[in-house]
Amino acid sequence: MEKVIEIINLTKTYGNGRGIYDLNLDIYKGDIFGFLGPNGAGKTTAMKIMTGLIRPENGDVKILGHSVVDEYEKAMAKVGCLIEIAESYQFLSAFENLKQIARYYPDVDHKRIDEVLELTGMYKFKYEKTKKFSLGMKQRLGLAAAVLSRPKVVILDEPLNGLDVEGMIDIRKMILSLAEKEQTTFFISSHLIHDVELTCNRIGVIYNGRILNVENTDAILKNYATLENYFVSEVERNGRVSSSAS
Amino acid sequence: MAVFQAALLNEIEKLYRKKKVLVAILLSLAVIVIGQLVIVGVRSGFGLRGTGSVEFPMLVLSVVVNTILPLFTALVTIDSFSGEFSQNSMRITLTRPISRFKIYTAKITSIVLFILGALLLLLVFSMLAGFIFNANSASFDSLGRTVFSYLVSILPMTVLALGIVLLANIFRSGIAVFFISILIFLAFKVLGLLFSQYSSLFLTTQLDWYNLFLVNSFPLAKIARQFLIMLGSGIMLFSAGFYIFDKKEF
Repeated sequence: MEKVIEIINLTKTYGNGRGIYDLNLDIYKGDIFGFLGPNGAGKTTAMKIMTGLIRPENGDVKILGHSVVDEYEKAMAKVGCLIEIAESYQFLSAFENLKQIARYYPDVDHKRIDEVLELTGMYKFKYEKTKKFSLGMKQRLGLAAAVLSRPKVVILDEPLNGLDVEGMIDIRKMILSLAEKEQTTFFISSHLIHDVELTCNRIGVIYNGRILNVENTDAILKNYATLENYFVSEVERNGRVSSSAS
Repeated sequence: MAVFQAALLNEIEKLYRKKKVLVAILLSLAVIVIGQLVIVGVRSGFGLRGTGSVEFPMLVLSVVVNTILPLFTALVTIDSFSGEFSQNSMRITLTRPISRFKIYTAKITSIVLFILGALLLLLVFSMLAGFIFNANSASFDSLGRTVFSYLVSILPMTVLALGIVLLANIFRSGIAVFFISILIFLAFKVLGLLFSQYSSLFLTTQLDWYNLFLVNSFPLAKIARQFLIMLGSGIMLFSAGFYIFDKKEF
């Protein structure tokens, strides 16, 4: 299978001792990879390095064969991402915000902007400035921005933050349909473990900056009743969660 | 190159969509109107000549390059860097297929274009005001010198902007950058007066360098020296600012 993302010996430590250590991970074409871990385990750090927001101390990330450290423009050419909170320029409308992003991709026209606004249920707010948007609306716009360029790889950090139930279902459907129809590869971190179970086909657990295990969702669900049980048992083995939590 | 153009276009769009630029334009025009009113008042009230049609734009330039133009350059620069750092909106651009060097250069180019736009606007309106209110003593040669003076002022203003860019990359808070910029500006002004023999080393003195082009003898050596000092400091400030910007974590 074609490797889409290669994380190689990735290390980044912070002054407080947290960070990621010697992370190795391969993501294959068409994967919807769920990245799970407790708070402060290093999920966002890894994703920030993957998207060039911070530099690693050691190691590299290759996206579609290009290093994010040495060939950033090529590595990011077919990547869409949403890291932490979806940001937008508050003095611009939803449409203008997407137009700003569209300029970096020659194939994205106004029609495509309308398409992603429709896809994320934001079309009715097209000409509204994002200043007054709710958290959920901002998040939807962030997701629209992430898939705007028809990327082959989408990296999403907590994509369901602030979304209502309807929003969560919409986004889940969108992810599944893009993965199926366009073979888009997803790398998703989320605290909403139930949603990860429903969406992702491979799961990686990170704890204290190290990968504990990577497994197919189907294989996990053969041995455990739910993904939550698996997660707790994985983390528990490393002494983090008490058995009463399960 | 295409991504640089995209980034530059985005920066320009952000710039003109913010109200700050509108305020800058209105205040620049206010300076011209107030200046002209004062001159008309002096002329009719005291019978003094004030300025001629070509002298008025020069008077405006001498005032704005030391006051509102550095102020607005600081505001626009701080907004472009510190503003986007604090709102995390820098991530919108950073996660696109564009290198940090191109983002940094596009931001600075848009600021330089803002300065150029402000200078041209001031030139046009001050000349109009000059011709309307003091329609005398205009010659083709002095007109050329006026236009040239406005155009060369872009250089020291750019160096000033690069200095503020460096500060904006060092300090997190935009307000801190603004106050430190003003303090350094004032300190350089005072130092330039106290140690006049070294004044060409203080960047604030360069703001008036357009005067060198107005002298009849045309001091080529001095112009070349000033130009090289500005070029050198500009390159150093640009590189130092980029070094920090490139290493920044978002």
